[in-house]
Amino acid sequence: MKRKSLGFYFRIYRKILAQDLKSKMSYRADFIISTIGMIFTNVAGFISFWILFQNFPSINGWGYYEMLFLYGFSLIALTPVQCFFDNNWNLRMRVYSGDFIKYCFRPINLFFYFQSEVFDIKGIGQFLFGLGTLIYSWNMLGLGFSALMLLKMIVFLISASLVMIALQNAAASACFWMQNSFFVLDFINKMKDYAKYPVTIFSSIFRFIFTFVIPIAFIAYYPSLVILRPDEVPLLSWLSPIVALVFFFLSYKLWMFGAMKYNGTGA
Amino acid sequence: MSNIIEIKNITKEFKVLNRREGLKGSLKDLFSRDYKIVRAVDNISMNITQGEIVGYLGPNGAGKSTTIKMMTGILEPTSGEILVDGCIPYKNRTRNAQNIGVVFGQRTQLWWALPLVESFKILKDIYGVTDKDYKDMLELYQSLVDIEPLLHKPVRQMSLGQRTLSDILAAFLHNPKIVFLDEPTIGLDVSMKAKIRTLIHALNKEKNTTVILTTHDMGDVDALCRRIVIIDKGKMLYDNDIEHLKGFFGYYRTLKIRVSGSLSETAEKIAAEFPEFSVSANDEWISVLVDEAKSTVMDVLSQLQKTYKIRDMQLEEISTEEVIKKIYEEGVK
Amino acid sequence: MNIKRCFTLTRAGIIESLQFRLSTLVVVAGNLLYLVVIYHLWQAIFASVDTDVVNGMTFSDTLIYLVLATALFNFMEMYVVWEIGRRVQSGEIALDLLKPMKYRSFLFWSYSGTAVTQFFFTFLPTFIVVTIVTNGAIPLGWNLLYFVISVVFAVSINYSIDFITGTICLYTESIWGINMMKPVIVLLLSGATIPIAFFPEPFKTIVQYLPFQSIYNAPLSVLLDGNPEPAKLLTTLGIQLFWCVLMNIVSRVFWKISLRQITVNGG
Repeated sequence: MKRKSLGFYFRIYRKILAQDLKSKMSYRADFIISTIGMIFTNVAGFISFWILFQNFPSINGWGYYEMLFLYGFSLIALTPVQCFFDNNWNLRMRVYSGDFIKYCFRPINLFFYFQSEVFDIKGIGQFLFGLGTLIYSWNMLGLGFSALMLLKMIVFLISASLVMIALQNAAASACFWMQNSFFVLDFINKMKDYAKYPVTIFSSIFRFIFTFVIPIAFIAYYPSLVILRPDEVPLLSWLSPIVALVFFFLSYKLWMFGAMKYNGTGA
Repeated sequence: MSNIIEIKNITKEFKVLNRREGLKGSLKDLFSRDYKIVRAVDNISMNITQGEIVGYLGPNGAGKSTTIKMMTGILEPTSGEILVDGCIPYKNRTRNAQNIGVVFGQRTQLWWALPLVESFKILKDIYGVTDKDYKDMLELYQSLVDIEPLLHKPVRQMSLGQRTLSDILAAFLHNPKIVFLDEPTIGLDVSMKAKIRTLIHALNKEKNTTVILTTHDMGDVDALCRRIVIIDKGKMLYDNDIEHLKGFFGYYRTLKIRVSGSLSETAEKIAAEFPEFSVSANDEWISVLVDEAKSTVMDVLSQLQKTYKIRDMQLEEISTEEVIKKIYEEGVK
Repeated sequence: MNIKRCFTLTRAGIIESLQFRLSTLVVVAGNLLYLVVIYHLWQAIFASVDTDVVNGMTFSDTLIYLVLATALFNFMEMYVVWEIGRRVQSGEIALDLLKPMKYRSFLFWSYSGTAVTQFFFTFLPTFIVVTIVTNGAIPLGWNLLYFVISVVFAVSINYSIDFITGTICLYTESIWGINMMKPVIVLLLSGATIPIAFFPEPFKTIVQYLPFQSIYNAPLSVLLDGNPEPAKLLTTLGIQLFWCVLMNIVSRVFWKISLRQITVNGG
């Protein structure tokens, strides 16, 4: 049997997604509560952002609208991980209860099969919130608009999303090696809230860490420089799509390696 | 007939952590840990031919699920060889997965929120089942069990029995060469158990599917398996026909008689008469456990008839369950 | 209630959390990194204004405040909402209700062990580091005693709020939405994200009348005030006591009502 093509996986995902949405709609109360939760979370995030700028005019040479741009950018970049990879949060439970093994018996990619099980529609609210913020700040900054900018925007947003997905995969796969790994995932989840600040505020050691070890700087700072300050784009910004792919690939390998190792010892 | 599964001298070892006890022990564990090697499967060999139903038995922790994990390709043996349909499972996990179906009693592999038929459709795509095969399979299912009411019910709303049934149907959907059933009837009521056994039997007959069944329910074994394999502590204890098993401890049969007069007195007298057999009395019946290697049931019966007036009699074969219990307890001599 | 029974649960919790050597390490390392992030972020923020004091707080005041708020959060966060939600979903809650102990207390004491280990592994080291680094900015006197009293109140209020949020899980399957919402809102309104002193006016007053500020703002302001006026101290502790009692009653009543509703509906 030959390897399955991308088209094959796409078709399967679409089918599962359509069914999943249908069944989700029948649990309206849940949907409403979690959407409200999502809105509250985003509003609360925005309020703390706003309070900060009530007291301080700028941070490290970054003005209010520029920071708002970073903020909106990070929200959009964090949407795919929310929508498509949310099952990572359940991984720990599946592994401890032994239910994880059921994912291993299908003739399709284990990682895909696991992640395809959950689609989180709530992420869309966050996406719209981020998009609004981005357009508003874009407008206030008078950045102008061209097709090329839009293209850049899309490419760099996708790279930024991949970085966050990679971080979450890596964090989730911790449960294959350690018990009580919730803290790892929770920690990464907390760190992503700091993606919206320019990495230049950190000292060089931590700038390095946030660029190469826990690459949150690639979630908003590096990619958005391309649009935000086109005159002073560092090399790393241009490289961010490649960096994103590399990180994603590594995290995927780690995840799969963990899954195989778990089967060797677990339950 | 060809071997669908060939296992040669496989062994699997695990490293496990020795935990210390109490608060002090936990603090110690924080700084130094001590591991030991456990041999979960120890030098097991067997061949299974296409279309067989094999009962794979053993007490909890015997190494059954480890063996099955190796056959399904998610675990690599420490040493030894496994071939499933001519290929090495752990090196070709996805290819092997195409050939097998797996059911765990109590753990559904279906999509929790979706109606069964939607799960089937997704599986159809995943396994690349053709429209015709899919349609034929559903027709076969319909002829065996009444699936119509199940098809449009979300799995989460099903009873355990319905869910198990659905899981079994899902496992056979892509017409795999081998199906692994892990305690498929656990927690089910008697009529559901019977229904599931009939279904498995019919699917095995119809599609010539090899079935590997692990269970603690001897009812499953008696109803389905010709051949059984017993392992304990990782070692193979028994691999042969189920009839053969009963002869393993001598051919025991229980002769039950009803006599006039005092039950216990008569029982004592009979016990004195046949010191080589164990005799017991309850519920108006006197039971004599006859070892047919020593004398036949007919001989014992005619002997008894000379002395006592027998009003009624029954003959019982020793049950598989009793034999297995004996094997678990004593091992094979 | 039998106090011995409670401490048995605490002890079991300590043993359980010590099992996870790696996760203890991750928590400690994660906290350190988190502290660094906060440090750099606020340094950059303060660097952007000309004055040293903003809204009556210096950089080191803000830092101590935020770092200790995080440390307190780690120590108090028991993931009770997750736990209740998970048990409700899996149906295990039925078993818990059979235990010869009120569920509210059972859960509290079960988690108290984790809190104890968290106290020694995260709060205490953080506290010591901060004390040394800020070199005398934290007054060491009677205020430590008042602080401990204040923290006890805070733990109780926090647990009540957690329990109320957890109870909502009886009504919905979307424990995720609730879990996401709770910490963000509590942290914002309690001043753990941004000190309440920075809040602009209408907000500041509103927040003062909510129970949340008693969780982080109250103990931290007690700690940072080396020479408190008795009236001010008593007001702070008095308000805490008030919320402590009120939230306790509310959480108990809400649980009781909800449980009745659920059992009637056969949920």
